Amino acid sequence: MLIIEIWASFMVLFGVLSLIVYNVRNYLQPVGFEYEHVWNLDLASNQDTLEVAAKLERALQRVKAYPEVESVSRMSSNTPFSANQMGNSVTYNKVEVGADFYSTDGELSKTLDMKMLKGRWYQESDRVSKFVPIVINKAMEDKLFLDEAAIGKVIKVDDKKSFKVVGVVDKFKSRGEFMSDEPAVFELLAKDDVWNANMLIKTKPGTDANFEAKLVKEIAVMLPGWGIEVSYLTESRKNRQNLTLVPVLIFLIVSGFLLTNVALGLFGILNLNISKRKNEIGLRRAMGATESRVTTQFLGEIWVLASFSLLLGLIFAVQFPMMNVFDLDSEVYIIAIFAGIVVIYLIVTLCAWFPSKQAARIHPAVALHEE
Amino acid sequence: MIRLENVEKVYRTSSIETLALNNINLNVKKGEFVSIMGPSGCGKSTLLNIMGLLDAPSKGYIEIDGSRVEQYTDKNLAHLRNQKLGFIFQSFHLINDLSVIDNVEIPLLYRNSSAKERKELAQEALEKVGLSNRMKHFPKQLSGGQKQRVAIARAIVGKPEIILADEPTGNLDSVMGNEILNILQKLNEGGATIVMVTHDDAMAKKTHRLIRLFDGTQVV
Amino acid sequence: MFSNYIKIAWKVLLRHPFYTFITLFGISLTLTVLMVLTSFLDHLFGAHYPENKRNRSLYVGTVVQTDSSGTTTSSGPASFGFLVKHAKSLKSAEKVTIFSNFSFSNTYVDGKKIKLNTKYTDSEFWYVTGFEFLEGKPYNDTHIQNGDHVAVITDALRDQYFDTNGETVVGRNIEIENVIYKVIGVVKGSPPTRLYTYSDIYFPYTAPKSNYENKGMRGRFVAIVLAKDQSDMPAVQSEFDSNIARIPNKEIQDGQRYTVLIVKADKYFDHFVSTFARSNSQKVMFYTVASLILLMFMGLPAINLVNVNVSRILERASEIGVRKAFGAPSKALLWQFIIENIFITFIGGVFAIILSSIVISFINSSGWIAYADLTINVPVFAISIAVCLLFGFLSGVLPAFRMSKLKIVDALKG
Repeated sequence: MLIIEIWASFMVLFGVLSLIVYNVRNYLQPVGFEYEHVWNLDLASNQDTLEVAAKLERALQRVKAYPEVESVSRMSSNTPFSANQMGNSVTYNKVEVGADFYSTDGELSKTLDMKMLKGRWYQESDRVSKFVPIVINKAMEDKLFLDEAAIGKVIKVDDKKSFKVVGVVDKFKSRGEFMSDEPAVFELLAKDDVWNANMLIKTKPGTDANFEAKLVKEIAVMLPGWGIEVSYLTESRKNRQNLTLVPVLIFLIVSGFLLTNVALGLFGILNLNISKRKNEIGLRRAMGATESRVTTQFLGEIWVLASFSLLLGLIFAVQFPMMNVFDLDSEVYIIAIFAGIVVIYLIVTLCAWFPSKQAARIHPAVALHEE
Repeated sequence: MIRLENVEKVYRTSSIETLALNNINLNVKKGEFVSIMGPSGCGKSTLLNIMGLLDAPSKGYIEIDGSRVEQYTDKNLAHLRNQKLGFIFQSFHLINDLSVIDNVEIPLLYRNSSAKERKELAQEALEKVGLSNRMKHFPKQLSGGQKQRVAIARAIVGKPEIILADEPTGNLDSVMGNEILNILQKLNEGGATIVMVTHDDAMAKKTHRLIRLFDGTQVV
Repeated sequence: MFSNYIKIAWKVLLRHPFYTFITLFGISLTLTVLMVLTSFLDHLFGAHYPENKRNRSLYVGTVVQTDSSGTTTSSGPASFGFLVKHAKSLKSAEKVTIFSNFSFSNTYVDGKKIKLNTKYTDSEFWYVTGFEFLEGKPYNDTHIQNGDHVAVITDALRDQYFDTNGETVVGRNIEIENVIYKVIGVVKGSPPTRLYTYSDIYFPYTAPKSNYENKGMRGRFVAIVLAKDQSDMPAVQSEFDSNIARIPNKEIQDGQRYTVLIVKADKYFDHFVSTFARSNSQKVMFYTVASLILLMFMGLPAINLVNVNVSRILERASEIGVRKAFGAPSKALLWQFIIENIFITFIGGVFAIILSSIVISFINSSGWIAYADLTINVPVFAISIAVCLLFGFLSGVLPAFRMSKLKIVDALKG
């Protein structure tokens, strides 16, 4: 029964630690862009179907003209920290990689301060007949082109369209800190595009809601009947973070209580078992065993028990990295396994230390007398 | 009342086999007061336990009040113990967490008697052992003699026909021991069949019959 | 008999405060978490303000278009027209309301930005939901036919946007995205966890930017179908299913290569589950994972208690021996220890209820969920009691079994 308990504790620990390790590892990697002072202007044409592309372009130029605006960039609705995702896969040299696709214009790297590793961000002039310029991130380069350099590579989509890589950025974790560094592809927005109606606006520091109100009002006059919504990337980021943090926190609290519970129980059980063996302790002490010998013996016994449980737990736990469950990096599971083992040994040792120390201190005569 | 036929009891551990009882044939008649004597380790308590259906013999038969019990299930045995037998132990075995009256009521819990009935019977039994003024006390507040009298009250509360006492005076001084024996004698006069294990000759002499055991074998 | 058991249980508790503490700590915490969880689930799925009629409501939230092999799937809310045609027409329903899924906007007042959830609804919305009007009244069919720019706002928005000075705001104007709406009613706000009905401001669906005119099956609208009676729900569901079944293939294709259309009028909980577990096997998976987590969660403290109890058997050996000697059958002992354990669990349950109330009132007042209305109401309490019983049984049955199997002779020696 004790084995089952330790085993179950290990499994709970393993689950929670995997979650934590995964998130902490992600958190330690930068998102790869600047979001401070960046607003997201979300436009919806609603029932207006006349010259939508031209209206979007006019709105863009209008926003750009404000002195409070440093730079502005059009983007598909999967803006940083938003809940929207657009996934697609590309194939090069028989290697197929799924990636997040972002449609943007030539200004995005400026608006979001993205660091170029190789090449440069695309411009309108890069669009040559059926070649659409793209920028990819490092993760995509590594996965798709393996050891080759990405710049200048052409990826065929269909007969009418091909991508040409013009630049590589470092990281782009659009869903925030807790997202893993996934492959990303930035594609130049078509000139007559009407679907991607988000604008990222980098404002100058100190710009406030008064400007925002003015902006919304003027755009609303320009585009009657359109939906207009402004949000700050800093706020979206916070919402996004909470979506990850709150469940992790709840799991952490709950499993913390569970483990406290187990530790207390373990302590109680060991206390009982050890005090039941007072005779044996007395005998050992009478035959010359030192206090520390007795303590080590009890600790050794519980370690053996814990090791059996952990072995049982490992049989289950190693399935996760081996079967690649949830598509997580196997390193996450391995770190979680090791951390779990350490915590279990720590708990077990702590719970056995006090009772065995106390038992070892009993005078041999007293212990034997209890018979 | 109690008949043992060719009873044998073997204790087995992984390495040794010990013969605790060897070919015991015994017949305790209704209303008899029998004592069992012998040196320690001779199997007295084992014999008593087998008579009390607390332990099963390795071989042989037991008959209680005319019924052979070897085919009985655990449930039937429990019922038989409850109806016909009362036990008194050397170390009293009172439940420290329960008051005197609650301790005495225990055998009645496993019968279909009402709370009121139980209370009345328990009071009656405690009166018989002279402890009706200690009903609300807890065992820890009592002296050894008082504890054993509570144990006797518990043994007789269900009005069993047989009382089995395992060294009832073993943990008591001689004054208290005699007191306990007097109570037992009175119960015997009231019709109860009593089997008592003892190592006190003086006590044994006051009973109707003496059985001596040596190394698991009946010598008298 | 019963009182005898309880007396013993109580004494055993008092005998070793440390073990009692371990036992009660485990039980109370486990039950607290379960109670808070139950309360939260009740908050999410129970019938509460403003969806007080949830018990007889069916939700039409998603249109799923897929091909026969299920490789390409597209899903989302329906268009207004689709719902009018297939849901509003239900004859067996008492009332049907169509309203937009959540959408966002901002309004500005005195250089301050107010983020808004907006919603476009029909007039039946106010009948199907139980919103409490603090001021004014809802918009009606006339407002809708005229396309009036009117709005119902929540008390929270009123307090943020208007300088009320204790006067009613009905008749005053609110400007959103350059459109001016007249406030005609103020309702008590609802928690955002009422995903479908929560909003800060409600407009008639004919107000600007609702996109109710959009063609096709997919759009941004959902419907709640209110059955006359809970027992009527299967009939309403089958009428709705037959409405959907009558949609011709050409319409289903929707310009794409979809051949299968799945639209259900589901009870709220089923609807919720089906949003992330579409196929039956996914549902089975969902329930398996959920019950595994619950089992793990209840199992670990239970194993812990079992271990503590089993270790303490010897303490009770003499008692068990005596009871057996005096004729207690194993079954009676088994029940005794189970009852004892359930008794202890209930003591833990009392602590848990106190703790849960504290946690719940903390959640309610923390602002973590606006307008949070978590409670320990009758269903939550009943479930808690059931959980207590289950937990007591779970953690008591094995130690009890071990104890009752103890040999009398050994027990008396111990």
